[in-house]
Amino acid sequence: MAEMTRYERIMTASHKKLADKMPFFHYWRHSQVGWAERECRNRGMGMGWVRPPYIQKIHGGVEMTEKQVVSSGTNVLRRTYTTPVGSIWCDEKRGRGTEQWHALRSWDDISPWQTQRLIKTPEDYKVLKYMVENTEYIADYYPIEQAMDWLGDDGVVIDALPHSPMQMLMIDWIGSEGGRFYIHHAKYPDLVEELYEATSKNRQAMYEIAAKSPAPVTACGDNIDGVLVNPRLFEKYFMPEYEKEAKVLHEHGKLMYVHMDGRINNIKHLVAKTPIDIIEALHAPPMGDLPIGEALSLFKDKVIWTGYPGSVYTLGPEAVKTHALNLLRDVIPGERLVFQVSTENIVSNKNMRMLTSVLENATLPLTMDKIDEIERSLG
Amino acid sequence: MVGENYLAILKQGIINLDFDAVKKAAQDAMDAGMDPSTAITEGMVPGMAIVGDKFESGEYFLSELVVAGEVMREGVEIINPYIKSDDSSKSEKVKAVLASVEGDNHDLGKNIVGTLLGVQGFEVIDLGMDVTADVIVDAVRKHKPAVLGLSALLTMTMPKMGDVIEALKAAGLRDKVKVIVGGTPVTDEFAESIGADHHAANALEGVQKCTEWAKAEERRN
Repeated sequence: MAEMTRYERIMTASHKKLADKMPFFHYWRHSQVGWAERECRNRGMGMGWVRPPYIQKIHGGVEMTEKQVVSSGTNVLRRTYTTPVGSIWCDEKRGRGTEQWHALRSWDDISPWQTQRLIKTPEDYKVLKYMVENTEYIADYYPIEQAMDWLGDDGVVIDALPHSPMQMLMIDWIGSEGGRFYIHHAKYPDLVEELYEATSKNRQAMYEIAAKSPAPVTACGDNIDGVLVNPRLFEKYFMPEYEKEAKVLHEHGKLMYVHMDGRINNIKHLVAKTPIDIIEALHAPPMGDLPIGEALSLFKDKVIWTGYPGSVYTLGPEAVKTHALNLLRDVIPGERLVFQVSTENIVSNKNMRMLTSVLENATLPLTMDKIDEIERSLG
Repeated sequence: MVGENYLAILKQGIINLDFDAVKKAAQDAMDAGMDPSTAITEGMVPGMAIVGDKFESGEYFLSELVVAGEVMREGVEIINPYIKSDDSSKSEKVKAVLASVEGDNHDLGKNIVGTLLGVQGFEVIDLGMDVTADVIVDAVRKHKPAVLGLSALLTMTMPKMGDVIEALKAAGLRDKVKVIVGGTPVTDEFAESIGADHHAANALEGVQKCTEWAKAEERRN
């Protein structure tokens, strides 16, 4: 049997079938073009490219202006939205290199950070709600088609959607700094609910656009951590949205993934009930709190794209080797699993090469003997 | 009897996450001439302790813990103006300096630790987010805290914790303060590798460790 391509490996596993080897890939946004990246890709590492399938327009007389300002002694980009029902603004701090290489990521691979959020006071809700209700999503598959053409069989292209409605409030609009979202949710429940409802309603068009995109997988935004998104919040605001989203995507044969790189042990039974196809970025302990083997046992109808823990990378290649071998032993026979080199940051050449050395010979189905042999070969 | 009523309302208001009840009881208690410190230490702090217990038992989540901290903060804000400037209790408190390290703009965990340390009687000096090593070292020099708590949520910013510890050594301050580190990506191994005194597995465990240190310090003194 001919060796599978990187794309075939990733998608075979993602459709719950057995690939020839353990699929592994690096995200374009975290990859560093160079000799080590070329070497790893030649040795089996695939590439993942996440791109949006839509553009958005805000109607209703909403104007946006940007200017550089100094806030609390720091240079920030201030974005102001002026609408017929009022104005709101946010400040964004950008690291060195932003807009000079991988889109908005800095040289340190950190995306811009909002130091002031759009929602600061109760009065801001109505303005943002107005903006949401006047936002139109328009299909634009050019970035997807271009990436698929460029990447070919070397990896997988994924539709990028923004955070789901409640996580837009939690992360993007109100923010979690100082526990602000929780405080707003407790003090202004009606305002939070109304904005959530408006956003959820507006999202339907976006899901339909993603469903028709040529990419085989859709990333449904989000950044789930069971400590921050507690079981009550997950059940009330996230599960219904995933149901809605999955219904549209599945009608078009698409796979749906949700980024869950945090601690999800306390919501694992709820996650199991969702229609999500791929639990993306699930981190094994020590960064996560749910071992991958246990997650695979619990999520029988799901696939895991596991994110390799950044905290292990900080300890160097030997730790990377040990952790990767242990992880493989935990998931024997290795079905329904894809390794992601990193879902967070750039990985050093030596760590990336070590992970490749472990995974390039991980033929499926895995056995203890095969893993022992990989370990012996690495000395 | 009347005073006990205020204390009970303050305590229950914190447990119930009831902003209005706590703010009203705080104002009423001050208007009735209650000692401000009593209102805080015998009304709100016991309420916050119960919230902490509920969090530990799984009945409350992080969201409730955060909101309870905010309810207490708003109540204390009302009481604060009534505290006399010669109140000596403040100067007796053990100090803790907290910061999210340079490049890291996450503060939820740090703030919870700060709230809980306050409940445990620490004087908390919160330097905020994205704080450089030199600012942290200056704060340690100035405030002479028993504890320095460093937080990071990103693997890219974790190494800055090590930079802070190196800067403390260079300034001759490392042996003057206990350093506790925390944040989702931080592990025991990492904490050990940078020479921290402790890795806080979570906010409650971290606060327990700080309290142990403070008690040991008191015994020494």
